[in-house]
Amino acid sequence: MSELLRWIGQFENSKIVALLIFFVTFCAIIIYVFTGKRRKQRLESYKYIPFEDDEKESRTQRKVNDDE
Amino acid sequence: MAQSAAVDTQQQYNYAIIKKFSIMALVWGVLGMAAGLYAALELAYPFLNFNIPEITFGRLRPVHTTLVIFGFGGSALFATSYYVVQRTSQARLYGDGLANFTFWGWQLSVGLGALSYMFGITQSREYAEFEWPIDILITLTWVAYFWVYVQTLRRRSQPHIYVANWFYISFILATAILHIFNNLAIPVNLFSLKSYSLFSGVQDAMTQWWYGHNAVGFFLTAAFLGMMYYFVPKQAGRPVYSYRLSIIHFWALAFLYMWVGAHHLHWTALPDWTSTLAATFSVMLLLPSWGGMINGIMTLSGAWHKLRTDPIMLFMITALSFYGMSTFEGPLMSLKSVNALSHYTDWTIGHVHSGALGWVALISFGSLYHMVPRLYDTKLWSLRLVYAHFFLATIGIVLYITAMWVAGIGQGLLLRAFDDQFGTLAYTFIETVTFLHKPYVVRALGGAFFVSGIVLMAVNIAMTIRQAKVEQAAIEAKIASKLARA
Amino acid sequence: MSFFKHESIEINAGLLIALTMVVISIGGLVEIVPLFYIKNTIEKVEGVRPYTPLELRGRDIYQREGCYLCHSQMIRPFRDEMLRYGHYSLAAESQYDHPFQWGSKRTGPDLARVGGKYSNEWHVAHMINPRDVVPESIMPSYPWLMENELEYSDIADRMRALKKAGVPYSETREEYQANVEKFGREVADRLNILAAEQNLIAEAQAGNFDGDRARLTEMDALVAYLQMLGTLVDFSQYEEGHFAEFR
Repeated sequence: MSELLRWIGQFENSKIVALLIFFVTFCAIIIYVFTGKRRKQRLESYKYIPFEDDEKESRTQRKVNDDE
Repeated sequence: MAQSAAVDTQQQYNYAIIKKFSIMALVWGVLGMAAGLYAALELAYPFLNFNIPEITFGRLRPVHTTLVIFGFGGSALFATSYYVVQRTSQARLYGDGLANFTFWGWQLSVGLGALSYMFGITQSREYAEFEWPIDILITLTWVAYFWVYVQTLRRRSQPHIYVANWFYISFILATAILHIFNNLAIPVNLFSLKSYSLFSGVQDAMTQWWYGHNAVGFFLTAAFLGMMYYFVPKQAGRPVYSYRLSIIHFWALAFLYMWVGAHHLHWTALPDWTSTLAATFSVMLLLPSWGGMINGIMTLSGAWHKLRTDPIMLFMITALSFYGMSTFEGPLMSLKSVNALSHYTDWTIGHVHSGALGWVALISFGSLYHMVPRLYDTKLWSLRLVYAHFFLATIGIVLYITAMWVAGIGQGLLLRAFDDQFGTLAYTFIETVTFLHKPYVVRALGGAFFVSGIVLMAVNIAMTIRQAKVEQAAIEAKIASKLARA
Repeated sequence: MSFFKHESIEINAGLLIALTMVVISIGGLVEIVPLFYIKNTIEKVEGVRPYTPLELRGRDIYQREGCYLCHSQMIRPFRDEMLRYGHYSLAAESQYDHPFQWGSKRTGPDLARVGGKYSNEWHVAHMINPRDVVPESIMPSYPWLMENELEYSDIADRMRALKKAGVPYSETREEYQANVEKFGREVADRLNILAAEQNLIAEAQAGNFDGDRARLTEMDALVAYLQMLGTLVDFSQYEEGHFAEFR
């Protein structure tokens, strides 16, 4: 165990260590994102955000309002 | 305050700043692409240098790259990011004054930069030629941009931050890091515009191409993906294909891109391990790139008929196709064996342009065509001109990249050809230059197509804005007359 | 997974920013930082020295005109390149290059070892109008190099700036002595900032690069620079394959 820690601490191994850490993190993100039914629903619900402020009244509509 | 009940988008959001950036994107686009066309013609017909120092190829090329990347691309990004962050947060942009500062700071940097290259003031670092005083101005502008963006996000009306904003944020952060570290330089003195880079040789080369490739990765890719994740769904009227895929897309892209810069330095004096690592990551980068492309294109699944009636959608989907093509070509060219042939040749130039014209410019055109009428609360002046623009642009790109494939692969093969009998070099260098003439003429023709396309767009947008003013005046007149009657 | 939720990134701008920073920093750190520490990055070779004042001004002009956009200075280890340009470039050869000028495109030939290949007269004629000596050339003409007097009033400041970046130009007695030991007396004299102007004029006079001794032009400086490119290392000293271990 202590040998492993020493290996991790060595400068030359930084590339592999960094790669491993990030690869594991990345796998964790994938698993997180693609598992769970509720999570799926929650995440996919966000894709409607751009539509939440759909074009409020164009100029012609405002004109109608003015006419009233 | 009579109409305060009807909260309309014109007052809810800061549209003035977006309008300014959109117009400047087109101004720089026309100027920068015209400069590129002229530079291309200089290579085909060298007499066009006219012995005028300011317009010789070596000084004009940075003018072209700066105006199109930072002038056109940068202004389009400022405009769309300010639009997207406001509309997805449903909050007004933070700090009108600070936002204005980002406008003037950026335009001044781009304009002064282009002028300074014509007068020979340059750091001679590709895509980072700005000398140190302009670098400082850019840094200040960028910090203000970051602040405006984040503060606006904090005003958002709901907890979740929409994914387009993630891409814009990573672009702002990455550009800040890259800009600062690549421009570490020591001025000759406080009154001199000349500086020398802090690093030298190998380290300097590595820093520059770490910058150079990530300018592509974050400035020209991540940011425009942010654009894609908002404007493609909006224009299609359908949400993005898979939100979960976009999350994976984001993290993978942000992580992988930063490793690949050294593939610009294969077979050089850079240590081998660095460029091998870069090549490996370049190949892996294919996955998130294509994931993103599929996510964008599939947004239209089930609504393909829109392509027949909507030229703006045509721009966006074609942009995504070129994105897919150039992100396939990129990893291919980063393989050491392919790079041995392609490096130093026009193949690289062709690759850059299939990304820059095909992806960056087309997605920007599409987004601007979508956004500008909404900013001015009117309709596009002419949809037929949009079609015309689309076909001019596409023909231009195809001519451009085909010519560059011929030029690049051809020259690469000629340079490494040996005489069968004696083992000597089969061609002198100048013979390969003669070979380049015809592809260079075709390339310039492709460029001419593309430039005429953006000129049409500028006309169309100008007329759209004029039309909006006329409509506005008509309404005001009507209201005034009604008030008079009452 | 419970101790950390991706959701907290999605709703927290600060956290999103921090994590994005980590993710985008790592690639650059891992690839760039070791280059400054690993001994083998730069080979030990004899002969590489900083630029003399005149060469330095020539190099400034090379950058000003954007030569790097069409000419590389980096020969790769391929048979055709070695036949055409010479021994492949070493990292050591650009160790005093602030900034590097390796280039990325060869619309014209590589210049890493152009020094000594052509006469001064050829270079001058070529710069004034490339098509006079190479009819098919597409290079722009640079007649103004012959007309412009060389500006060298701030040469000492330029060398001082480079000194701050780590180039061993000397100002004090000790620095000069160190240079004498490292490069020999003749070179050390030319790296002396205090004598920069005299050295520059003397070098231009002695070299007569632009063929006109009466005037000190930008052409003098540029040709002086081109004529020294790639000439510092004497490759006949080293065995075949000596540099392979550094790759």
